[in-house]
Amino acid sequence: MGEVITLLFRSRRFIIGAALFTLVLAFGVIGPRVTSKDPFLMAGGLFDPPSEGSMLGTDNLGRDVFTQLMYGTGTSLLIGFVAGIVATVIGVAIGTLAGFKGGVIDELLMGVTNILITIPSIVVLILLSVAVKGRSATTMGVIIGVTAWPWTARAVRAQTSSLKTREHVDLARISGYSTVELIVKEIMPYMFSYIFMAFILQFSGGITNEATLSMLGLGPYQTVSLGVMLHWALLWESVRTGAWWAFIPPVLFLAVTSFSLMLINAGMDEVFNPRLRKS
Amino acid sequence: MVISRRLVVLIAIVALFVGLLGTGVVSAQRLARENTFYIAGHQWGPPTSFNPVGRGSVSWPINNKLYIYETLYAFNLVTGELDPILSEKQEWVEDDMVYRVTLFEGTRWQDGEPLTAEDVYYTLDLGRRYPVSYAAWWNYVDDVRVVDDRTIDVVLDPEKPHRTMIVQDLGTIRILPKHIWQAIEDEGQSPQDVANMEPVGSGPYKVLNYNPQQITLVRDDNYWGQKYFGTPAPDYLAHPIFKSNDAGNLALERGQIDFSQQFVPEIWKMWEDKGLPVGTWYDDEPYYMPGSIPSLFINVHRPALDNVLVRRAIAYAIDYAKIAETAMSRYSIPARSSMIIPYSVPEQQYFSEADAQKYGWEYDPAKAVDILENELGATKGNDGIYVLPDGTRLGPWTVTCPYGWTDWMTSLEVVAASARAVGIDIRTEFPDAPVWTDHLQAGDFDLTMNTPAGGQGPALPWTRFRDVLDDRDIPPLGQTAYRNWNRFSHPDVAGLLDKAAFTSDEAALTEIYQALDRIVMENIPVIALEYRPWEFWEFNETYWTGFPTSENPTAPPQHNLAGVRLLYVIKKK
Repeated sequence: MGEVITLLFRSRRFIIGAALFTLVLAFGVIGPRVTSKDPFLMAGGLFDPPSEGSMLGTDNLGRDVFTQLMYGTGTSLLIGFVAGIVATVIGVAIGTLAGFKGGVIDELLMGVTNILITIPSIVVLILLSVAVKGRSATTMGVIIGVTAWPWTARAVRAQTSSLKTREHVDLARISGYSTVELIVKEIMPYMFSYIFMAFILQFSGGITNEATLSMLGLGPYQTVSLGVMLHWALLWESVRTGAWWAFIPPVLFLAVTSFSLMLINAGMDEVFNPRLRKS
Repeated sequence: MVISRRLVVLIAIVALFVGLLGTGVVSAQRLARENTFYIAGHQWGPPTSFNPVGRGSVSWPINNKLYIYETLYAFNLVTGELDPILSEKQEWVEDDMVYRVTLFEGTRWQDGEPLTAEDVYYTLDLGRRYPVSYAAWWNYVDDVRVVDDRTIDVVLDPEKPHRTMIVQDLGTIRILPKHIWQAIEDEGQSPQDVANMEPVGSGPYKVLNYNPQQITLVRDDNYWGQKYFGTPAPDYLAHPIFKSNDAGNLALERGQIDFSQQFVPEIWKMWEDKGLPVGTWYDDEPYYMPGSIPSLFINVHRPALDNVLVRRAIAYAIDYAKIAETAMSRYSIPARSSMIIPYSVPEQQYFSEADAQKYGWEYDPAKAVDILENELGATKGNDGIYVLPDGTRLGPWTVTCPYGWTDWMTSLEVVAASARAVGIDIRTEFPDAPVWTDHLQAGDFDLTMNTPAGGQGPALPWTRFRDVLDDRDIPPLGQTAYRNWNRFSHPDVAGLLDKAAFTSDEAALTEIYQALDRIVMENIPVIALEYRPWEFWEFNETYWTGFPTSENPTAPPQHNLAGVRLLYVIKKK
């Protein structure tokens, strides 16, 4: 493990990505715990510009944009994290089972996966979001996660199909390992880096999907996220009225968060991908 | 040779494509900009019906504008008077039981046929025979009689002689040519089922063309009313069809739109910050004339919300100034504890400041807490929310309005935040409009937002009090109600409403409306949240000038009905 980390920190991309992400994480997770400001307090007026008391001005409801940004970043990270976990777990479970078992089970699971891939996930996302009453941040994460797993499943299935023919797996099978044991002990460890990278991508996708849904008005209730901030900015025509502070900060944070996760992923790829590593 | 043939085919395809795309653009470009008056905010999809008595949505300009079809007269929001349109005078005769309307001499249809009292009778009679929008008008009318070619009598129902309702609704009915619509009926079709895409009316404009991008009208220079009203200034009226509010607002800012009925956040920035020739009715706050009271309806049958003291605490908790500043973009004064609009419009004469002070409320969170703790004996839980002595927690309750109604959504965010600040758990929820409507009409909500009796007319605030307080003909919870959605009931309401309906004595009316307002203030089934213009009304003077304003009220700030007068007072720049 220590060796892996040492290797990772040899990648400049990984270092920059991790540093950026740490900053975002600190802002969104620690920020709300140290500030005494309430993100829902309507202390100011309609789109008050940045001032001494309010670093990034106020939004259309007179709420402090900087405070909203801290809480919103935290919520978006939570939604992305939950979406990443859900999508990865489902994708890995289906992918490994299909790849390992093969035959009818493989056909069936991959059939379902392929069908889901052909349906634009945004449509499914919108339908699910509309159907769910009282969406919380966690529910949003789950909704996004359950629509995002198919690509992971396909990739993991391909890896598993290749790994299951290796000798150590045959040996374990002869030794009487059950299917679950074979998958968990003999196949998964060889895919761990890949799974983690898939999670990073799903995490990033979850954050942007949340922003998309929230901008359409299907975001989480009773909370603020980067997407919800953009939603209000859009509805109140902040671009036309020149209230840049209402939309640029959340867009910037979305971009930086996604970019940092992409860099982490690319850095890990450099380390874990044998082809890239050789070169 | 092969290449040149391909080239020819390619050019042909491109030309066809450009031709198809350009159909609308070309027709729009043919209009000289200086002769065309561009309007926005009334049409959001391709035009599908120009039928004033049709079912479903009716396209601009048939939706309450008097450019093609005309009414007998039109209520002027500024003067409170009835502006003449087709009729030169109206009077009460036969012991005030008959409303006699006399048409101008020379009224005629755009196809040259004379417009007579028979056309008026035919149109009104449609309401007796078909479920058209004004069918309910007949609830108060016994009969309609043609006296002569130019005179028609409306005979009141002696049991319900509701004069203001008769006058108000008659002023909204667009008169149809009998010779055209009777022919439709003779063919066995219902007048409600035709799209009427080539409308023949009596007004100063005719449809020139329409497509999914724009509807264009051309002035009818044979208009019968020229000798009475003059000639409207624009040769053409054009309504580009925008996909969203912000596209329309941007076009107004750029001078591509001359006159708009859209909610434009922070409109003052257009002239204060950008120096654009944009204006509204008032050049300072609240910029627009109020026309309705979007209000919070509280379900008086839900546990704890059935307690008037809880409702009173909510009323004191709400930050009305914040709603006016943020949700209404400063286009409203902070709402008062009344169902009467207290400024600018004719109904303000009924508002009682003394009653509002004595029986009403204002934003005072400390008073809300005082009611909760001292009058209700509620105690605050660990989560910051009060619990009544019987164990009922004050929430979570949802407060709803349709998704996309931006200013309402913002108002409710303020309501929810204000309530939570004093310890009442109210949360916003914005369902799709059809879902919200179903729940509203069935009374299936904790709190919801809606406008009681929108519109403009001499019957306000009577219709507003009826919509909020009258429980007659209201089905029980679970069934569809079109007003009094929270099924509020009070024994004095019916008598007061009937008394107000059948009197024209202003002193008596004031007394009755104030008594009804006290019932609202004492029982709080509804809380006024803001004053919203019935129609947003803003203009850009890049191409046309002379728009009326509060300083120079040559026409009322209306797009609908009496707003047609605007076209006669503007001038080419």
